[in-house]
Amino acid sequence: MNRRERSPCTTNNWRSFAAAFTAWQQRKVSRRSFLKAGGAAGVGLLLPVKLSAKSTPPSRKEPWLTIAAVQEQLFPSEKDSPGAADVHAAAYLERMMSLPRFPIEEKTFILQGPVWLNELAQQQFNQPFPALTSTQQEQLLQKVARSSAGENWLSLLLTYIFEAVLSAPAYGGNPEQVGWHWLQHNPGFPLPNSHNTFDVLVKK
Amino acid sequence: MTADCDICITGSGAGASPVAYALAQAGYSVVVLEKGAWFTEPDFSKDELACCRRSVYTPDLQDEQHVIEELKDNGEWSTSPTSESGWDFWNGNCVGGSSNFMSGYFYRLKPDDFRLRSEYGPIAGANIVDWPISYADLEPYYTMVEQIVGISGRVVRHPHLEPRSTADFPHPPLQENIISQWIDAACDKLDYHSLPTPRAILSRPAHQRNSCSYSVFCGSYGCSTGAKSSARAALLNRAVETGRCKIHTHAKVNRLISNTKGKVIAAEYFDRQGQRQRVTAKVFVVACQAIETSRLLLSSPGPRHPDGLGNNHHQVGRNLLFSAGGSGQGTFAYKDLGAEQAEALRQRGPFVNRGLQDWYYVDDAKSGRFKGGTIDFLFRHPNAIARANNQKWDDNGDLIWGKPLKQNINRYFTEARYLRFEVFCDWLPTDTCNVELDSRVKDKWGTPVARVKVGFHPHDLKVGEYLATKARKVLTAMGAQDIYSNISGDPPPNLVAGGCRFGTDPEHAVLDSDCRVFGADNLFVSDGSFMPTGGSVPYTWTIYANAFRVADKIRAQLGGPVTS
Repeated sequence: MNRRERSPCTTNNWRSFAAAFTAWQQRKVSRRSFLKAGGAAGVGLLLPVKLSAKSTPPSRKEPWLTIAAVQEQLFPSEKDSPGAADVHAAAYLERMMSLPRFPIEEKTFILQGPVWLNELAQQQFNQPFPALTSTQQEQLLQKVARSSAGENWLSLLLTYIFEAVLSAPAYGGNPEQVGWHWLQHNPGFPLPNSHNTFDVLVKK
Repeated sequence: MTADCDICITGSGAGASPVAYALAQAGYSVVVLEKGAWFTEPDFSKDELACCRRSVYTPDLQDEQHVIEELKDNGEWSTSPTSESGWDFWNGNCVGGSSNFMSGYFYRLKPDDFRLRSEYGPIAGANIVDWPISYADLEPYYTMVEQIVGISGRVVRHPHLEPRSTADFPHPPLQENIISQWIDAACDKLDYHSLPTPRAILSRPAHQRNSCSYSVFCGSYGCSTGAKSSARAALLNRAVETGRCKIHTHAKVNRLISNTKGKVIAAEYFDRQGQRQRVTAKVFVVACQAIETSRLLLSSPGPRHPDGLGNNHHQVGRNLLFSAGGSGQGTFAYKDLGAEQAEALRQRGPFVNRGLQDWYYVDDAKSGRFKGGTIDFLFRHPNAIARANNQKWDDNGDLIWGKPLKQNINRYFTEARYLRFEVFCDWLPTDTCNVELDSRVKDKWGTPVARVKVGFHPHDLKVGEYLATKARKVLTAMGAQDIYSNISGDPPPNLVAGGCRFGTDPEHAVLDSDCRVFGADNLFVSDGSFMPTGGSVPYTWTIYANAFRVADKIRAQLGGPVTS
């Protein structure tokens, strides 16, 4: 990465759609096509992964119950690969929101989602989102993704799931490097410790 | 009145540190004013959140930002503050500057880069000029950087090799992945000259610094071993050791104050508490990377400089340069390789370190004669979160999730390795690429931020495409799949220079040939701002070299011995 290029995620502008619930229901018009990174062909051979036995209990109250349910739908646990719950994605996101450099608009937008999603769940199924079956949840997420705001909300949650899967364990996700093992990723060395995580460095 | 120090430098990166180092070594007292913090090796780890997602080495864009003016596809100029677009133009605001976070692909300019106008003639819409110095003037300083700052490599004869005063690099090349041999073989077949890329990374311990530990993640990351030849590791630590160089961190220089003779008398800065402080000196040096250097001069009017320091002819901020070109990629699937080859390709530590300069100058029957550029090969950056995040969109630009997404990510990570190339060619200077003060947006200290117009010349795309075609041929000859390239006029914010041209005519340049500001005899600019044309390589080696040259000029002005 010598030549730093414009990152595709800079096209996400939270202000423009975090404003109103109506945006959620508007069908997305057009979205900029993102630079594709030629996906490798061939059949994936998922290697067995030893999952962490213990996992942080999900947060007990809303909006975290809903966020955790959406995260698991977006990134489900499988027998040979970790899911959102396995990497403590909800607790990770909750903690990140309390640390420096978390954009305030993103925070507002992320926390707005469960309110909107549960309204939709009540309308369609007379139940809150976490109480729905996996099929019903998927149906709702597909519906939500048809609006720009909805798709961007899901996309943002995915970004923080990836952080929980692939950031250094010092941040509370990726327990026992389960995400790195799954993807045979060599994280390099040294890894961050409690003295040099970003929330410490930012105060230097 | 006695001054606080002999030399006061604003900024601490590759343009500032050679001056601090050389003048402190020569016995002068130096004060460095750095806006950011002082990170050292123990602070740096392989932490994608710190470097790239929470970006703690650069300011929060809510506190300090830029306003970017760019030409849209519809032909209209559009303006947006980076706090809204997220398009970050900071590159490293801490002691050592962005050199802490460079990849360190180091190339010298070549003799023709110093006389682009004479050699290649004018191009309509481009402000091409010759430099006031020649390659021969800078050559000794390129060599000095190899030795003092530390560059590893191996000289290979090729048609466009620039003259050298020494036979080879002081440090042997770094270890290479097997793919470097495949590049060599493909280039042999094509009759191209593949070259080992010189790197600002120590291959063996030197200067009280460790050698490379082959933990990859060079670009965007601070080096934990000290092997990367950042301005901090290579120069500032040694400058401070003399006892004559003091570095003030969290010192944001707000303006330079000049007197009725036009000379600079003080640098005014905000300290960490937001209090205004002053440093007086005999000589002042500005080196806070091209955009901020122009901004500081424009923010510093005085009795003899009513429109900003050195700006009586309205040249400050003009002819800003980025690096033109783009990048491309080819895929090597492990299943298409023998087991041994696949295993060798998987090795993460060793580098690719191959470049091509066969078309640095082009003269062929079909395309004509023009200035070309450099191609550099490298592996896709290993940042895991960024790579996973790129997999969440399908070919229609729709979001995917669930098991199909997980399978895509797993394949992307485990089934192939991706060889990329980058093209570097001249970003022609034009009237649509410049720095001004924004009239509306201010930083957290209440001072106007830089407004950067990022227009490019269409000729740049022609040259970029020419080179990308050659690079794709190499990937094809290597048997890569899914080959693509993307040449664009988007400015890479980390490859920036110009804005304060050096020259012989004060009406068309900001600096004289010594990089002294016209009309302010004790003010020098020693970062990449001086470059009137950019050449076709990354800038850092040239910035280091020129700053050593400027240090000699300052020493001469102060009456000290010149030892070069």
